[in-house]
Amino acid sequence: MRYEVTLPELGDDSVDRATVTMWLADEGDIVSENDDLVEMVTDKASFSVPSPKAGTLVEKLVDEDDEVAVGDVLCIIEI
Amino acid sequence: MAGPFPEWIRRTWGSGSDFGVTKGILDDLQLHTVCQSARCPNMNECWRRHTATVMVLGNVCTRKCAFCSVRSARAGEKTDPPDPDEPRRVGEAASRLGWRHAVITSVTRDDLPDGGAGHFARTVEAVQAVSPDCTVEVLTPDFGGDLAGVETVLKAEPDVFGHNIETVERLYPVLRDTAAGYGRSLSVLRAAAGGRAVVKSALMLGHGETNEEVRATLADLLQAGCSAVCIGQYLRPGKTERAVAEYVKPEQFEAYERAAREMGFQYAAAGPFVRSSYRAEELVRKIKGRD
Repeated sequence: MRYEVTLPELGDDSVDRATVTMWLADEGDIVSENDDLVEMVTDKASFSVPSPKAGTLVEKLVDEDDEVAVGDVLCIIEI
Repeated sequence: MAGPFPEWIRRTWGSGSDFGVTKGILDDLQLHTVCQSARCPNMNECWRRHTATVMVLGNVCTRKCAFCSVRSARAGEKTDPPDPDEPRRVGEAASRLGWRHAVITSVTRDDLPDGGAGHFARTVEAVQAVSPDCTVEVLTPDFGGDLAGVETVLKAEPDVFGHNIETVERLYPVLRDTAAGYGRSLSVLRAAAGGRAVVKSALMLGHGETNEEVRATLADLLQAGCSAVCIGQYLRPGKTERAVAEYVKPEQFEAYERAAREMGFQYAAAGPFVRSSYRAEELVRKIKGRD
């Protein structure tokens, strides 16, 4: 089953987007739940986004330096 | 973007329904939080643990400190009177979120005769009434230096009385509102010391303070009767606040934590993401020997 990993709500209402700094996993990688997938940066700090599910990272949908909004799909994990 | 940040200025941005549970309850109860108003980088982590620091007395501050993103009242703007129902709603949040430790802070209200001290006390009592096993921590403003305000809050018997010194004495003129004062904040802590409440303070680093200045501040806090201290890295909330002068290294924070303990603090926490209310429950458990 293809599971869409989205950028979760950070909480801070003023932070509704972030920039992709770098991917920490590649397409084809097997990831466990909570493994860091991608690093993002906001005005205040860097954040790593952990995988919400275990599975195989099959497709990245955003590139480094892309600006991403909360709720956007970052990648697909086959679970 | 303000990056690149040093590698240690990094948090986790996780998902899961728990975050939404916390947000839903706080929104439903129309409560403000300092997590949101100060744009805290720990918020995602804390809210996923159902932890938040409520900010009472509105979300508009009568002061303007250069490091803080809480909105300041514009010249001539009238701030809302304290909401008499707010203490009850904070109690309800404590109950619905299952808090074992509640942290309550506020904006500074120089416009109120008691600086908001009575409202603080009623909020503490409301939490205690609904959740008798929940410990309560307050993080108060300086009440304009009126120590009767401290007394009012202490009468409600919070477990922890917190008031943040924020920075070293030399940087007060550049970082703080003119109504704040280093000596004034020490006098607030001194007034709170000696009773049953643990007296706690916090300072942020990264504004160019020296090692000696930090140690001198710790000594002043200790002398004022503070037994718990938190030291963290200042992170600029937005473009209107003061820029970060320095990212203090994690090992330097560790050295300050050790130094604070050696000086005689019963509890000390230092690290880039340490905030006075971050994992505040651990302090209470440690000092009071609970669990």
